[in-house]
Amino acid sequence: MNKVAKPQQAAVKAVPAKKRKRTQSLNKKKERMGWLFVAPFAIGFILLYIPMVFESIKYSFEVTKNLPGGGIEQIFVGFQNYNYALLEDSSFTQTLITNLQQLVLDVPAIVIFSLFLAILLNQKMVGRAAFRAIFFIPVITATGIIESIELRNSLMNVIEQVGNLQSGTSEISTTSANDIISRVDVSRIFQGMQVGQELVGYVVSMVNNVYAIVNRSGVQMLIFLAGLQSISPSIYESCYIEGASAWETFWKITFPMISPMILVNAVYTIIDSFTRQSNTVMKYIDETMKGTYGANGYPHGTAMAWMYFLIVILIIALVAGLMSLYVFYQRKD
Amino acid sequence: MNSFTKPKLKKYEKVQFDDKLTFGQRFKLKYINPYFLRNLLIKFFRFVFLVGISYIVLFPFITKISGSFMSITDFVDVQVKLIPKNFTLDTYKAIVLENKYWQALLNTSILSIGLGAIQMIVCALVGYGFSKFKFKGSSLLFLGVLLTMIIPHQTLQMSLFMKFRFFDIWGIGGLITSALGAKLPNLLGSAWPLIIMSATGLAFRNGLFIFVMRQFYRGIPDELEEAAYVDGAGPLRTFVQIILPLSIPMMVTIFMFAFSWQWSDTFYTNLFFSSSSNFILMPDIVKIPASLNSKGFVGQTAFETAINNTCGLLILLPLVVVYLFAQKTLIQGIERSGVTG
Repeated sequence: MNKVAKPQQAAVKAVPAKKRKRTQSLNKKKERMGWLFVAPFAIGFILLYIPMVFESIKYSFEVTKNLPGGGIEQIFVGFQNYNYALLEDSSFTQTLITNLQQLVLDVPAIVIFSLFLAILLNQKMVGRAAFRAIFFIPVITATGIIESIELRNSLMNVIEQVGNLQSGTSEISTTSANDIISRVDVSRIFQGMQVGQELVGYVVSMVNNVYAIVNRSGVQMLIFLAGLQSISPSIYESCYIEGASAWETFWKITFPMISPMILVNAVYTIIDSFTRQSNTVMKYIDETMKGTYGANGYPHGTAMAWMYFLIVILIIALVAGLMSLYVFYQRKD
Repeated sequence: MNSFTKPKLKKYEKVQFDDKLTFGQRFKLKYINPYFLRNLLIKFFRFVFLVGISYIVLFPFITKISGSFMSITDFVDVQVKLIPKNFTLDTYKAIVLENKYWQALLNTSILSIGLGAIQMIVCALVGYGFSKFKFKGSSLLFLGVLLTMIIPHQTLQMSLFMKFRFFDIWGIGGLITSALGAKLPNLLGSAWPLIIMSATGLAFRNGLFIFVMRQFYRGIPDELEEAAYVDGAGPLRTFVQIILPLSIPMMVTIFMFAFSWQWSDTFYTNLFFSSSSNFILMPDIVKIPASLNSKGFVGQTAFETAINNTCGLLILLPLVVVYLFAQKTLIQGIERSGVTG
């Protein structure tokens, strides 16, 4: 009996051992393959990106000095650049604060507007394809080059207007989209009614900025559309059968289901509006780096940029943290 | 059940199977009821609203297009608003001929298509790696992806410049070259910096692409891959033969974004190509052609604005054409992406 049992036991023992070994190797193989797939990014991130970030941080603690024999010397100065940006540079903090205030107004407007448009574009109607094609044009066009051309033009117009003010000649009509909206004086109607002045002011500023808002809500609209498409139609059907109105359906179904997308879009909008070229702080930092506001522009600019980045991270963390308390996830992994 | 069906049947008989209804009565029943009228009203306002927003999106283009056909006298003419009096193609001619538009178009097309393709493939690979494989440090590395998304690229301006001016990795290259008495390679003025950044997923908004691809691949059921593994395919073959064909709409979307953002990019092209004048790209054509010099004229600013806008239109034109062709696939890809959670 003993003789027979022993090999059996051995066999029983051997099988799980073998199996475990094999699964381990498969897992290891998969792990290796995972690294292989992400290798391009991992290599770039470790070999290029981290050194660049490190160098950039280093620059913000240094001052460049031209040596008499030609050439440049980097001198470590500690927090001097940061002190300069916060305490000595009079416009930086001011620009930053105005920009943050603007952001508080802009981000909700963009998110709400893009959600509204996405819901409209998700409905069946005549000419839906055409409307979609038109609304996604800003995604393609409102970047880089066009923005820089627009900036250049507005600068030229400002210069001309200043010149006109000085010489007293009449102003030649400028062609911007804001022109159309300012013709309709919305605020005056509400001012006559004497209700909710702050809210009216906010809405009016949004209406006046509608061109900028439409231009900046392209990607968000795409993300919302993708989210709306993923909501099962049978939920809406059952709501309809139960007799819910469109208003109730929106708040009870669409809004909770789309809330993860709202979080994603809020974060994306914050990043996008903080880092786009037309952002006032970004412009200011860029000008500082180019040396417009005196020598040692680059280290000052880098210090500002890093402080700015830290503020952005803080705001994103705050917004994401607050919003994720209210986000509804359909399935939890 | 019975109590529900009975009154309905009555209504049915009254409304639909009654032949005695005249056309007017039928019309009244069908169209003049609160439900239909409310729907009509909603549809009407929705349409008006959408047309209005479309107008806001398109209006700048309309003014730019009309301005591009105007001659300089039209800008001081009070009567001229949108339709030019002296129709001219001189602006286009001057920009195309004097600012070397064709060369810029060719160079930018090659650059954008090449970089778009590289970014598309790399982001698909990396996104797949992040979505389907669990390995040590994957979440940490993904945090890195998010970091590349959040850090504004202006912050790294100088570092980028220095990195590719004296191309070096962790100072190793410096040791080798100083030992050999050679200089570090200067990659500026060539496409190499952009190629390197695209191939490593660090180019403009590649973090977003990786994120989107990862979300997309998460939506593909694991069973597909398991079936392929059982049939003896390795992960790489599974990816190429099973996963890639599934993700074509999404890849087209990524390509379109990468392509168009590279096309209209000014930051990286100004940074990497500033020193070279022989490689003309789209940002280089935005300048006033010599033959359209209007110094001293009354409408100078307006005219120069129009010229700049025309440059912008010429830059956008190929992009819009590509967009119109790819638009259907693009929106399909976005809708299927399932960018959720």
